Amino acid sequence: MFGRKRKPSDFNAEIEAHIQHESERLREQGLSEEEARSAARRSFGNVMRAEERFFESGRLVWWDNLRRDLRVGVRMLARNPGFTAAAVLTLALGIGANAAMFSLVKGVLLRPLVNQDENRLIYIQQSATGMGVDDVTFSVPEIRDLQASVKTLTEFGDFSEIGFSMIGLGEPRELRAGVVGGTYFEVMGLHPVLGRLLDMRDDGPNAAGAVVLTYRFWSTALKSDPTVIGKTVRLESFGARSATIVGVLEPSIPYPAETEIIANVVTSPHHLSATMVTGRVHRMTELFGRLAPGVTLEQARAELRTVYANMLKDHPDAYAPKDDFRIDARLLRDQVTSRARTLLLVLLAASALVFIIACSNVANLILARTVRRDGELAIRAALGASSGALRRMLLAESLLLCGAGVALGVISAQPLVAILARYASRYSVRALDLSVDYTQVLVGVALAIVAAVILAFVPRLPSSRASNGISLSSGSARVTGSTTRRQRVFAITQIAASFVLLAGASMFIKTLLSLQYARTGMDTEHILALNVPVMTYGKSQEQVSGFYRDAVRKITALPGVDQVAVGTMVPWRDAGTFGPGLQFTGDGYVRASGEEDPRGQMRAISPGFFAALGVPIIAGRDFNDSDRHEPVVIISQSVAQRMFPGRDAVNRHITWTDPVIKFIPGFNSEPRRIIGVSADLDDEHVVPGPLMSIYAPYDQLMFGGRIFVHTHANPYPLVTPITQIIRNMSAEQPVERAATLKDVRAEVLTPNRLNSLVFGVFAAVALAIAVVGVSGVLAFSVSSRTREFGIRLALGAQPGRLLKGVIGEGALMAALGVVVGAASGYTLARLAGSYFSDMKMPSALPVTAAALVLLTAAVVASMLPAVRAARVDVNQALRSD
Amino acid sequence: MQEVYLRLTSYPNTRILSGDMSTQDVKERLALLQGTLDLLILRILVVGSQHGQGIARAIQETSEEELLVEHGALYPALQRLEERGWISAKWGTSSNNRAARFYSLTTSGRKQLLKETTKWKRLAAAIGRILEPEEGEG
Repeated sequence: MFGRKRKPSDFNAEIEAHIQHESERLREQGLSEEEARSAARRSFGNVMRAEERFFESGRLVWWDNLRRDLRVGVRMLARNPGFTAAAVLTLALGIGANAAMFSLVKGVLLRPLVNQDENRLIYIQQSATGMGVDDVTFSVPEIRDLQASVKTLTEFGDFSEIGFSMIGLGEPRELRAGVVGGTYFEVMGLHPVLGRLLDMRDDGPNAAGAVVLTYRFWSTALKSDPTVIGKTVRLESFGARSATIVGVLEPSIPYPAETEIIANVVTSPHHLSATMVTGRVHRMTELFGRLAPGVTLEQARAELRTVYANMLKDHPDAYAPKDDFRIDARLLRDQVTSRARTLLLVLLAASALVFIIACSNVANLILARTVRRDGELAIRAALGASSGALRRMLLAESLLLCGAGVALGVISAQPLVAILARYASRYSVRALDLSVDYTQVLVGVALAIVAAVILAFVPRLPSSRASNGISLSSGSARVTGSTTRRQRVFAITQIAASFVLLAGASMFIKTLLSLQYARTGMDTEHILALNVPVMTYGKSQEQVSGFYRDAVRKITALPGVDQVAVGTMVPWRDAGTFGPGLQFTGDGYVRASGEEDPRGQMRAISPGFFAALGVPIIAGRDFNDSDRHEPVVIISQSVAQRMFPGRDAVNRHITWTDPVIKFIPGFNSEPRRIIGVSADLDDEHVVPGPLMSIYAPYDQLMFGGRIFVHTHANPYPLVTPITQIIRNMSAEQPVERAATLKDVRAEVLTPNRLNSLVFGVFAAVALAIAVVGVSGVLAFSVSSRTREFGIRLALGAQPGRLLKGVIGEGALMAALGVVVGAASGYTLARLAGSYFSDMKMPSALPVTAAALVLLTAAVVASMLPAVRAARVDVNQALRSD
Repeated sequence: MQEVYLRLTSYPNTRILSGDMSTQDVKERLALLQGTLDLLILRILVVGSQHGQGIARAIQETSEEELLVEHGALYPALQRLEERGWISAKWGTSSNNRAARFYSLTTSGRKQLLKETTKWKRLAAAIGRILEPEEGEG
């Protein structure tokens, strides 16, 4: 015992001395030895009480009490292993889920970025909601206008993404690259781990080609090879350039795009072209900025808006009012996490619900147990335990339960975080390097304490006012109305929370199902797609298309291959490559006043493309090899219906009118004759809609380079021979990402699948706990009403009626839970809807499904106790207690 | 918490032993204000160091047996005063050659006594002023 200045034995010695003094005095007054001593003792009062008071004056009495209570608690819990295991597991689940979710939220949403002074680093966004685009990025002239006038930012950094084929570093590969100006890395506040980053000496058209490798690319594909610095590579895009690798970037958030390299502008001929430099509507650059010292985000935003408004006034032709062009700025950190935020907060809410369910369940277990312990508590109270002491005892027990729960929960949270992080990385790259830290333990412990205190105050103590005679004398359980009422409230809480989770889960599952079984119009299972990017270095247009023609011919000769074709993009995976599409018009089409021309997706395809994908041509014919010289197109059915309603579209003309087309090589605005109409094919959206598409022969327009192979055999064994064929034709040609369209679709749908999975697991856990809860409450109610059932049976009640009664009770609880859950869920969703724009109210079907599942589960859960009620042995029931 | 009882008869354990209070008992016991025992102990120790039993006797004798210290309450009070540093204690030998724990006043204890005495006198005087007229009427 530390902290006490005086030993109890010393105190006892003093009391003994006192009594001796006193008895001596009394003896002097004439009392006998015996009388004097007992009188001295009497006048001292209760020695034990004095000792107790001495003991209690110690500062650590609470600790002594707690230790004793904990010891008692351990014994009590060990005597009820079933109860203990159920309670600890349930709590572990609730606490573990919350701790894991919290560290995920903290890691993704709250952790600062590695970028230096990241709270000064902003992302600038241009939106044109009228065009249906939230982030149209910027064009170089726009950036120049902003740079010229904005004073609240010290520096702008620009980043645009482009695809390169890289030759000279291992196998030739197609990679994604960021092209940046000289200020980019300084604005981003990033550092190299090797070599140097790009700076002003790499800026502009006259610098030497320089490349920085991203950490991920360097450490995985290049196996952290330090000798790559100083090597020269050839980068091919719209023309080939050579560049030197100057450094490796530190691990950082790859935003706006995950790229393998970051290069300066001279490596990309496109960036130096007039298209890029003078095209005001040629937008492909992301813009970052650093707040000037003392400037708030608000001030910078205000200035950006003013400057931007002037810019719109100066160039009315480039910004149609209907498109609703706007500028906004926010911290890069917020921008990076914006997509994950809603999802994470929803998940956090889900885990909070699981916590509520877990606590309710354990509260129910504890209630049931305290009722059985009524006698014990009454005896303790009668022996002088104050109600404070009883509460303390209960608190010690619930602390033990929660302590065990938190230990188990935190241990299980570790792998849970890993799984969740992999899941969340689909939404935010920040989740990739998530680590488990002490906050998780802190959150767990905090939750455990909350739970312990709540649980300790759940049971009713034997009241000191009311007579405890009955419980003392009989020592058996008598259920009071208030206990069953409380239990029912907890059971209903569980059902309500489970209902919300189930409704959420079924909403995600319904979305997934509707996506998975949406008819794509393509034979996805038998189509293999490969990236064989266009390599233009040292080749004429004729040579490039000749290469693909030969490749198609050779692959078609492989056994099992039905049809081979070249296209522009792999459906869904490459979605968004061409933005909202390009404006076009058709013969005789008159646009309504104030309207813009319609936008259509432009695709370059080889003959046989529609056959390979299994999409029918409804009118006219497919391309053939003689379509090289006349500008011809095939249009989708939706274009035909829009531009030539009720008329034959074939042999009419389509003309591109979009201001951007003059920047696209090989493109012009001459009228193109329609030679065919295809069925609609939506390669942009996972839920297919009528996507207006215009197809051009790949001899006239060469983009992308995707080869589609239709086969009646197993597609994947074909990948090796196809790769060999192409490599034999050109050793430098990348062949990548071979997959059937079915698998591409599955890959694109992964986030949806994961949503369903995570919510499904949450809901399943909640449902399991709730079922156990309902079943437990009813089992308890049945066992405490054994005598009542016995009497009823003895009086001639049909067992079937008792059975129905108990099941009815369960169903009623479930129904009440569903009503409460629906009401609170609706309120929560409405509330959340006012914060998150992308919050959707679940439709009737998943809600009904969730309600049905819960009701069924409740009825099933009531079966067992109901059967027991109906089978009560009349004789035994009447004789027991 | 310690209580000092004003008792006319000395049956200190009546309440504890019987678990039942007679109305007579309640009338006889007048609890003094909390903290009074501390004041009395400090006052007794001004004369010189003394052991627990001696302090109790001194209070009883000085008050002409009006105040009877419940000995069981005395020691926790001594303990508390010691912890506050107002008194210090040391084992010694009493006049009749027995081991006893002797308490003596510390400097801060002396200051505390002065403060408490002043406060007590003011309180007593104030209560007296209020009670006087009523007594006159009765």
